[in-house]
Amino acid sequence: MVLLPLAAACERAAETPTPTAASEPTPTVGLTHGISDSEVLFGQSAAFSGPAQELGLNMRLGIEAAFAEANAQGGVHGRQLLLNSRDDAYEPEAAIVNTHALIGEDIFALIGAVGTPTSRSATPVAAEADVPYLAPFTGAEFLRDAQTLDNVLNLRASYYQETEEMVERLTTDLGVQRIAVMYQDDSFGRAGYRGVLLALERRGMHLAALGVYPRNTVAVKTALLDMRAGNPEAIIMIGAYQPVAALIAWARYTGIDPIFMTVSFVGSNALAEELGPRGTGVYVTQVVPFPTDDSLPIVAAYLDALAAYAPDASPGFVSLEGYLAGRLAIAGLDSCGRAISRECFFRELQEAAVVDLDGFQLRYGQGDNQGSDAVFLTVIGSDGAYHPADTVQRSAS
Amino acid sequence: MRARLKALFALRYRISTQLYLGVGGGVALTVAASVVGLLSFTTVGSAQERVNQVNVPELEAAFGAAKHSGTLVAAAPSLTTALTPEEFATVEAQINEDQRAFEEQLAVLEAGGTGQQRFERIRELADTLISNIDAIKQDKAMLFTLGERTGALQNELTRLRTELDGALIPAIDDQLFYTTTGYSVLDEPQALRNVYFSELELAKYRYLAELQAEANIATQLLATAFTLEDAAAVEPLRERFEATESRINRNLGSLRGTEQYDDIAPLFSQLSELGLSDGSGFDLLAQEIRLMGRQQDLLALNRDIAIRLGSEIDGLVGAASASVQEATTSSSQAITTGRQLLLGISALSVAGALLIAWLYVGRFLLRRLESLSGRMRRMAEGDIEEEVEVIGRDEVAEMAGALEIFRRHALEVQRLNLVETLAQELQGKNDELESVLGELRQAQDQIVMREKLAALGELTAGVAHEIRNPLNFVKNFSEASSELIEEMREVLEEGGEQMTQEQRETLSDISQDLEENLQRILSHGDRANRIVHDMLQMGRDSSVSEMTDINRLLDEHARLAYHSARATDPEFQLDLVQELDPEAGSIEVVAQEVGRVFLNIVGNACDATDEKRRTAVAEGRGRDYMPTVWLRTKRGEEAMEIRIRDNGMGMPPEVAEKIFNPFFTTKPTNKGTGLGLAITTDILRKHGGTIRVESQPGEYTEMIIEIPLNGIQTDGQEMQNGMSGALPQVQGAVAAVERALTLEPDDDEGDADDEDDAALTPPQ
Repeated sequence: MVLLPLAAACERAAETPTPTAASEPTPTVGLTHGISDSEVLFGQSAAFSGPAQELGLNMRLGIEAAFAEANAQGGVHGRQLLLNSRDDAYEPEAAIVNTHALIGEDIFALIGAVGTPTSRSATPVAAEADVPYLAPFTGAEFLRDAQTLDNVLNLRASYYQETEEMVERLTTDLGVQRIAVMYQDDSFGRAGYRGVLLALERRGMHLAALGVYPRNTVAVKTALLDMRAGNPEAIIMIGAYQPVAALIAWARYTGIDPIFMTVSFVGSNALAEELGPRGTGVYVTQVVPFPTDDSLPIVAAYLDALAAYAPDASPGFVSLEGYLAGRLAIAGLDSCGRAISRECFFRELQEAAVVDLDGFQLRYGQGDNQGSDAVFLTVIGSDGAYHPADTVQRSAS
Repeated sequence: MRARLKALFALRYRISTQLYLGVGGGVALTVAASVVGLLSFTTVGSAQERVNQVNVPELEAAFGAAKHSGTLVAAAPSLTTALTPEEFATVEAQINEDQRAFEEQLAVLEAGGTGQQRFERIRELADTLISNIDAIKQDKAMLFTLGERTGALQNELTRLRTELDGALIPAIDDQLFYTTTGYSVLDEPQALRNVYFSELELAKYRYLAELQAEANIATQLLATAFTLEDAAAVEPLRERFEATESRINRNLGSLRGTEQYDDIAPLFSQLSELGLSDGSGFDLLAQEIRLMGRQQDLLALNRDIAIRLGSEIDGLVGAASASVQEATTSSSQAITTGRQLLLGISALSVAGALLIAWLYVGRFLLRRLESLSGRMRRMAEGDIEEEVEVIGRDEVAEMAGALEIFRRHALEVQRLNLVETLAQELQGKNDELESVLGELRQAQDQIVMREKLAALGELTAGVAHEIRNPLNFVKNFSEASSELIEEMREVLEEGGEQMTQEQRETLSDISQDLEENLQRILSHGDRANRIVHDMLQMGRDSSVSEMTDINRLLDEHARLAYHSARATDPEFQLDLVQELDPEAGSIEVVAQEVGRVFLNIVGNACDATDEKRRTAVAEGRGRDYMPTVWLRTKRGEEAMEIRIRDNGMGMPPEVAEKIFNPFFTTKPTNKGTGLGLAITTDILRKHGGTIRVESQPGEYTEMIIEIPLNGIQTDGQEMQNGMSGALPQVQGAVAAVERALTLEPDDDEGDADDEDDAALTPPQ
């Protein structure tokens, strides 16, 4: 009679880890590739300080909301999901150090890295240790090379696809002919630049003007002067939100008012804030659905999870992408059952016809490590908020 | 004196003397061996001590010095390559340890005093080596300080460069935009064209652009200096940096007074300070490079010193080795000599022992002891005829002599024993013969007696038969006389008138008396006839078993025995008490045989009581004793028990256990055959019965007979056969005759008869 409650207590203990273990991402003794009887440990190296910190913080918020949602339902096949995040401040060197450290903690997979240069530095480290590299927040093309990087699974559409979408919309919706590009003088900027060039090339068009600004500065006026010379109907900007905002502000102030378009990486909310009233009509491509559109089941789930995990946080594109990354990881673990391994995780995701995250469909396959090809166009309204944009329109101003 | 010498000379032949001599020789040899061993050990020990005390420490010190100098030289580069002060401290501690050990070894070498000249050279080299290492240590300590500053310089340079970029790039960007468009601040109106699009603004743009280029050059020059290894190469870089600096200053001077100047000038002043001030920039790097170069020189010098030191120490080691070798050789020589001597002594000892064992113990002592022990063994086996040979004059010879004396004594004793034994044997044979003779006589007597009895038995049977005829006459005529008296009385009645009354009465009385007399004659005649009948009945052989009233059988034969005894001795008296079981009834027995048993036993009882009576009478106590025989029967479940008890002489146990043996008797030779009870036993055995005796000497004897109720049925056949055997018949005859012999006509008084009758009457 005395034994029964004891046994029951033991069972409960085995099924549900203690609250401490669930809330603190400390490495647990007995982990093998981050997997223990009761836990799966993930690692994240992203910018939580510096100019790109909004991106890192929101990615982490989204992933943790997804993990908390799963953990609240008893975890994935009895295992709680933990995330160990480290700040790399968007610096490649720090990203390398963090990745080494996380691999040393024997994490199951790296998830939600932020940035192209950081990813570029971290992926070789992860590949050497054969650690999965999931859903980095970048559309850089080199990460889409499934032949050389068999440990990477991308979630979002590539920069090429974003720029392709921009050019497509500009040419199709408005018949724009003169398109200029301003990019940040680094690998991220050049990736976007090449994407635009390819899209133009496909249509037999030429770049109307080109502006470049040095990384980590807001010295965009020279670029503005350079582009002004080409009299562009639209400017596609690949850069950080501050220089992009400066460019738009100076251009509009000095009477140059083409259609401004920028890629998701810019950090949409930050951009809108920086621009203030001058931001109206600026287009931003997104790789995830509109984060307040709760008509979509996945967005509704995201909003619920976010409200449960961080009631004070406002919904956003980046945290939605983080949430999707978390859901992707959960889907992979879930399909493996109790017997989790990295091999199984990859196999299950790659061989599945479709990974359906509440209607947000991801398709992987042989030679295709990118799940979503979807690009969504949004526009900053006069209210300073984003709105879905079905078509591109010439600026009202 | 002469006698004493002779005794001393004789002593030489004693075994003890010889053994003492042998053992003494052995001890002497052992002592000699020990002395040799001791001497060898001492020699080796002193040689070893010399090696230990002098050569080994020297050698050890030389080796140690060589080792530690090598370690020191090898460790010095790790001092220079230490990356952190912590690592340096570890290496330094190790080197200090090595250095101290090295000094110690040197001190030992110095104390040894070997090769003074060489040692001075070693000392000199060692001092140089140690001072070099100290210098390296100091330089390295300095290098660490410099290294820290260099590191700080590098960080400062990176920071400064970022700041310069951060200041210059936007400044150039802004200046260009302003010069081109007239806009300088967002939301502020455009400047006038002649203001912004002016030579002044363009020059400003140029200065800023040039400053950015010069800043790049200057930082690059300073960065390059970090990679240099040659101190001389620092100077050209410094030269070019100074040139760049002067260009920067010129450009800055042109910008003086503008808003950009205040942002930029301090950064460039920092750059200049970083590159050119004392103890910083190029100066710092040059110092570091020089120190590193000096360290390399010192290391090279150390290597050179180590080589020379090594060769000197090698010489030292060689010398020490040589003296160790020498000492070792001398000690090994001592060992060899000692070993050879010990071997020689051992060989001598073994040979001596063998010689003693073979010559003395084997040939002389053991052989004689063996012959002596063989002789003893033969003596023990009885061979004492041969004389013991006595050889030599030692203890063995004495033993042999003693043995010879013993042998002679033994011989003597043996002869005496033989005579005595023969005499004893003779006596034994005589006794045996006598006892056989006695037995023979006894047997002869018994045979004679038996023959006599047999003859008497036959005779008596005949006599008894003959007596019957006269008895018949007595009986018949008595009856006839009685009838005649009756007739006479009738006649007297009829013709009595003639006689007087008196006459008639007289005649009547007479006839009455006659009648009575005749009746008495008839009665006694009948009695005599009955006795004779009994006698005949006794002699007759009856072997047929029949149902027999056992009480009656006992009564008859008890009476017969009584009468026999009475017939023999008129003084005989007996009270015959019958306590018979009225339920006893009949059992199937051969009545003749069993009757004989009762007769025999009651007869014995009569003899026993009579003897006691006679004794009592002889002692004047005749009135006190009444001879009595008790007859008792009792029918049991399975057997009939008959007890015949007398209060006669009784018998002691040793007699009681023999009474059933044939020919055993306590009676005089002419009275008993010794067969009675044997026959009794035989008869009872044939009936399946038993007999046993209980007796108390002087008090009583009781014979207890048991005859099984069904005994005759099981053993019938055997009994028939047994009954027809010759011996029991003869014996039966003998027994009967024994008593019949003494039977005489009873002419006792009537009262005696009455007594008898009374006595024979069963108690009421």
